[in-house]
Amino acid sequence: MRRGWGALAFAAALTMTATPLTAQEKTGNKPGFTLAPGTVTIVLMRPEIAVGAQSTGGAYEPNADWTDQARENLGKALAEAQGQLGNRVVTYVEPVGQGAAVAHEYRALFTALADSVQTYQFFPGNRLPTKKRDDSFLWSIGSEVASLPGVQGADYALFVTTEDHYGSTGRKLLQVFAAAAVGVGVSAGVHKGYAGLIDLKTGDLVWLNADLAMGGDVRTPEGAAKRVAQLLEGFPGKPVEAPVTSAATKTAAR
Amino acid sequence: MNKFGNKFGNKFGIVAIGLGLIAAPVAAGNRLIVPGQPVAVAKSMLTVTPAVEWNKLGARPGRNSETWTFDGDALNDLTFYGGIEPERTLFREVSKRNKPLPRVKATMLVTDIPTLVENSYRIALDTPLFTVEGMEPMAFAGKPGIRFTYSFTRPNEDLPRKGEGRGAMIDGKLYLITFEAPRLHYFDAGVASFRQVADSAKL
Amino acid sequence: MAGWMIAAALAGAALGAGASDRLAPLPPYGTAYTPTTVDERGLWQQADEAERDLRDSPAVIRDAALNAYIGKVLCRSVGEGRCRGVRVYVVRAPYFNAFMAPNGMMIVWTGALLRLRDEAELASVLGHEFGHFEMRHELKTFRRGRTIGDIIAWTGVISPYSTLPVSLIQLHFSYSRAQETEADLMGLRYLTAAGYRPLAASRIWERLMAEEDATALGRKRRVTHHYSAGFFADHPTELARATYLRETAGTDGERGDEAREAFLTAMRPWRATFLADQIKRNDFGGSEYLLGELATGHWTSDLLLTRGELYRERGNPRDLVSAAQFYQQAIDAGCTDPIAWRGLGLSLLRGQQAAAGRAALKTYLEKAPAASDRAAMAMLIGEGGVQ
Repeated sequence: MRRGWGALAFAAALTMTATPLTAQEKTGNKPGFTLAPGTVTIVLMRPEIAVGAQSTGGAYEPNADWTDQARENLGKALAEAQGQLGNRVVTYVEPVGQGAAVAHEYRALFTALADSVQTYQFFPGNRLPTKKRDDSFLWSIGSEVASLPGVQGADYALFVTTEDHYGSTGRKLLQVFAAAAVGVGVSAGVHKGYAGLIDLKTGDLVWLNADLAMGGDVRTPEGAAKRVAQLLEGFPGKPVEAPVTSAATKTAAR
Repeated sequence: MNKFGNKFGNKFGIVAIGLGLIAAPVAAGNRLIVPGQPVAVAKSMLTVTPAVEWNKLGARPGRNSETWTFDGDALNDLTFYGGIEPERTLFREVSKRNKPLPRVKATMLVTDIPTLVENSYRIALDTPLFTVEGMEPMAFAGKPGIRFTYSFTRPNEDLPRKGEGRGAMIDGKLYLITFEAPRLHYFDAGVASFRQVADSAKL
Repeated sequence: MAGWMIAAALAGAALGAGASDRLAPLPPYGTAYTPTTVDERGLWQQADEAERDLRDSPAVIRDAALNAYIGKVLCRSVGEGRCRGVRVYVVRAPYFNAFMAPNGMMIVWTGALLRLRDEAELASVLGHEFGHFEMRHELKTFRRGRTIGDIIAWTGVISPYSTLPVSLIQLHFSYSRAQETEADLMGLRYLTAAGYRPLAASRIWERLMAEEDATALGRKRRVTHHYSAGFFADHPTELARATYLRETAGTDGERGDEAREAFLTAMRPWRATFLADQIKRNDFGGSEYLLGELATGHWTSDLLLTRGELYRERGNPRDLVSAAQFYQQAIDAGCTDPIAWRGLGLSLLRGQQAAAGRAALKTYLEKAPAASDRAAMAMLIGEGGVQ
């Protein structure tokens, strides 16, 4: 999806059509699911993180320093946020050899699953009829995931993907100009992400949160903390103080 | 995302939408397929009677075809081809000029059906990672037909998929039902439902 | 896309003047280069991410012998010190292409291996790509257009077979023509220094031109773009490249090592796979040309068999007659692969020669009793099977 987003940014830049997915829902929870009581162990799969600048033409220019900063900041913020929930976050140690190929395949399957949820459940105009019912947030990568090398001993796997293109000054000027003079929407910057939690005993997707317009500057620790708070919106579980935005968050599983 | 877009990976589906080459999947009109009732598929006389409920996607891969799914076509994709006539392609051609697809021939034997599927996929998906694993005779809607299995990987995804097809040449036209899904979990989870649908095919 | 992309192109200004004094000695090589600028580090990181994905990708051929051979040729052509910083990945893709990322990841498509004739030609391709890597000083100062181009390149690494938004490609193409020419000439220097025959480089382009023309003719398109101006002026035209490479190679071009036998030996276990991938592209004209080119007057049994498959899969009535002939010729030329009898049988059956077709299929099943399509073939013979 990292690459998919890149292409979307290109396409949007080219056609100068910002494509707001109207009334896109953002969060889904498996009906009736709550995190196991006590301390659970969550294995954080290697996050897909890309940070760069968006030039006037809309092109994405990768920035290694920003990406490194984001990786570090987001990792810390995720561990801290989960720690506050009483959970333990461990970083996935990638296996070598055949195990690495299986892990790669599971990452690809999760991406396909997350895409499907967004395309066929969160997007109302395209929602599948069997996904329209109450309590119909039923998605899985299969219980076979329990045998993936490196996840034994953990209860859940957390997948995180973020992509940020910070708009350059030229890009922001173009945005203003285009809106005023031509009446077309040009997006300045791309800030998207999604996070999903897989129950490692069943393979079920117990929670997915996807946002096409996220806040928080991931290049700073404070911004990363804000981003993580947004990424973890609707995170299932133990009672926490309700997030301020929860009232505004539409939830697929109503 | 329709099947066609997805055939090229999400990336290209999205790009195409952005460029306005194909319509965005708004008002795609996905419909519920209810179990236990015969339903005509792929704008043809072919009918099937599913035992469980499916979703029919509004977007079709070609003029004489339609796709059913449980969780989206990237995760489970059952596609009907309802009588493709000679000199037509299996699905819509992206570029007749640069990437022409192979065409159905009236003289095709049932054993040529897997090859047509293989070559069409290789070209449309732009991948050499496609293998026909095996084939055996199996009646299709009461006519001599073939059952075959295959595997493939789309570029850009690294998510190997398995597939199974049932087809026949009837009155010089190609009838075919395929099912494909990631080999991790999804193929095994859905293949029995596909086989039940294929077994119920009538013409 | 730092690659041997077959693009319609313009001879153009990139050639400049004085090709003759381009064969300067190889520049000193600095090892352990680390990217410095923000842009460059960003690109390296993207390339690193791409390489992570590629490492586990099913598209990569991991055969130890094949990889060892390609590594050996790379080291001979660019030198031991230089080749150590490079990781080569052989990607299964039936088109002529190779490219190099700034972090030292080199990608060679199997379609290139199928089309090369000898080790000198392989060395010239690898040397060209290494040339891009060695001249990375240009990356330090790359411009915006270069950035876009490189992003296309890195996404292209993962999706090597892709089509991209046209205007982005145009943007990219207008920047890198000069660099392509420079890499070509650098490649030529490696060839000469390694004792390979320098003319190898120019021959590749001559054949690629002819193949493209054959593809166009087979698809009933006009054959135009090689010899005139085109918008996609990224890479110098094949014609221009063949010409300046030939001129620069000079009169000594025919001297030097081809190492043809070593190359063919290394490719032998793979040729059937590469040929099968080629004919499934539904590019009849191009495949016909390529098979003839590989045969160069001597049709071996594997080429005849492939030609039979090519004709049978197109399947026009006349094709089926030709296909049966090619299969028979392959068998007469000593082909031992059972699929020759299968192809013969299927072609004859479709051509209404039922008895002869069944006989050939019977032979197929005798020769391949455990074939995965045994039951289906038995049905065609009339021996059992659900009807």
